[in-house]
Amino acid sequence: MKQVLKAAVFAFACAVFGAQAQDRVIRIGVLMPISGPASYFGVMGKEGIDLALEQLKSTVNGYRLQVQAEDSACSPLQATNTVKRVLDQFKPHIVIGEECSDASLAIAPILDEAKVPMLNAGSVTMKLTESGYKYVFRIFPNAEQQSGPLVKVAMNTLKAKTAVILHEKTNAGADNAEGFRKPFEAAGGKVLAVIDFGRDVNDFTAIATRIASLGKVDVLPTFALEGQTVRLSQALAQARIVKGGGGTAVQMGSIWLPYGYDQKAGQASEGYVRIVQFDPTESRKMVQDFVKAFKAKYGADKVPTHINAHAYDAVMLVAEAVRRGATDSESIRDRLSKMKDVEVTTGKITFDAKGQNSDLSVVHFVETQKDLSWKGLRW
Amino acid sequence: MVALGLTLIYGVLNQINFAHADFVTVGAFAAYFTVTRFATKVLGIPDTGAYLLSIVVALGVGALLGLAVNAAVFAPLRERGDELRPLIATIGVSVLLENAQLWLFGPIPYQFDSPFSRETIRLGKIFFSMQSVLVVALSAASIAALYAFMKFTFLGKALRAVAQDRETAGLMGINPNLLIALTIVIASALAGVGGALLGPVLVLTPFAGATVIVKSFAIVIIGGFGNMQGTIIAGILVGIIEAFTVQYLGSGVIDLVVFVLLLVMLVVKPTGLIAERKEENV
Repeated sequence: MKQVLKAAVFAFACAVFGAQAQDRVIRIGVLMPISGPASYFGVMGKEGIDLALEQLKSTVNGYRLQVQAEDSACSPLQATNTVKRVLDQFKPHIVIGEECSDASLAIAPILDEAKVPMLNAGSVTMKLTESGYKYVFRIFPNAEQQSGPLVKVAMNTLKAKTAVILHEKTNAGADNAEGFRKPFEAAGGKVLAVIDFGRDVNDFTAIATRIASLGKVDVLPTFALEGQTVRLSQALAQARIVKGGGGTAVQMGSIWLPYGYDQKAGQASEGYVRIVQFDPTESRKMVQDFVKAFKAKYGADKVPTHINAHAYDAVMLVAEAVRRGATDSESIRDRLSKMKDVEVTTGKITFDAKGQNSDLSVVHFVETQKDLSWKGLRW
Repeated sequence: MVALGLTLIYGVLNQINFAHADFVTVGAFAAYFTVTRFATKVLGIPDTGAYLLSIVVALGVGALLGLAVNAAVFAPLRERGDELRPLIATIGVSVLLENAQLWLFGPIPYQFDSPFSRETIRLGKIFFSMQSVLVVALSAASIAALYAFMKFTFLGKALRAVAQDRETAGLMGINPNLLIALTIVIASALAGVGGALLGPVLVLTPFAGATVIVKSFAIVIIGGFGNMQGTIIAGILVGIIEAFTVQYLGSGVIDLVVFVLLLVMLVVKPTGLIAERKEENV
């Protein structure tokens, strides 16, 4: 009888301590596009996440960081189905993602209702942090934070008086376009046309022809994915509208474009002015350490992009929250909301009451030179 | 050219090939790697020659892929006498090819420029790239060659006979399976060439073909499913409508205009611009 009792006590102890050991896990769900036209976000994002986990040895404060990445395809429908499945099966303490605004807007209310924090690193739409969600945090500058300064540079540095706004037909594209149009017109600029296009458009000859018929254009703020922006730049150069094609207009862009766009667009990208949040040439030690570690892991010729950096930062922020004592969804949300001046590769993070990162201290402008290198412009 | 391949297969097999877009993508990647890895680096051929060679390679790769897919998937399913299974199999082949390319080439867009895409022709305020001229010229040549093949050669006549009545053609000594395989090979070769020509225009990723296939289906339906002449006219018509839509209504409503036209056509003239006649349906 004593033997049986001892065995029972032992089994009970094992069960209790085993369960505790199992509980010392922070489950991070990752929703990114791994298929479809925006799948490069997912691939680059995963590289950043894997590097962060490797450096952290997947453990912080005695808690193991367990990551489950799922394909949300940049699509509201797939993202919705995926997040429901992840919540049901994986039971994450926090979700990193999505990259595309439309998909992020689809999953935000679901995560908010489930009281699971959502850490977003790539969506620009204003609605994400303006809809009253309590569990949404974003480290990426929103549409107004990106478009407002674009207007300043257009008006003050480039002395622009006219603009043609080009954007993809998504929440992100529309918000960025509107974020530029309003302050530009308020400051006395004239918007000659706002031209939108679907993500399936490849040939921009007709659009470039239309722009050429609009008269003198000073700036062309462009809000589209990398592939389309490359083709758009080439069509604008062929139409001799932009500097890269012998014209005078300057194409301007947001943080959307990853490092390497200039090399793909070639001479057509000359004179392109854009905001960057992650600059691999930045001298900050954290940035240079990240670039070095990234090259060591993925190849010496591979320069990390802002997408790699954002995903890396997102994991590091979760780790920081755990380091500050977070153990579950609620405490992660609490620690994130109190973060102030936390240094990451893409700058410093201070979340405002709406969950939006308000620190733009490292965000700056660069201009593509004739040899396709970047020249930093004043912020 | 892409739409022509679709209509050719439908005309002979009465089957829609949902994998056609992926044949286009395979052709585009075949051309890209021929230019960047083989023709210029290994053979030392200059840019223009390398690109022209890549079109031939894409044609061959497309044809071989069509032959392989037909032998491995479509033909065995057709032999069972079920029309639905081959149709569903085209969806399976599409998913398989997309994911195989994603695994092989990754999702990051490739930059594929041809020497023709860098040259621009100007006529007053109008401009177009040499690539567009090449696309139009090669498409016209391919269409003419295909038309001549169908109209004047024994194989072409046999193909039309199979399209009209497979069983009777078989009784006349024609091997329908061989000619169906030939149809798929021709359509796949056209898709391969289409990929090589569109590569410098498209954003080249494993999903590139999907961006042209929806419009191709619209063109095929507007033209009259299975009718070659109708497809050609519809292709030109849709292109002109798209250009005018961008100029006067905005590029954001291109799809709306094209698909409204498609719906109108389905209501007013469901057979398409040129009604399919069974005796001349390819």
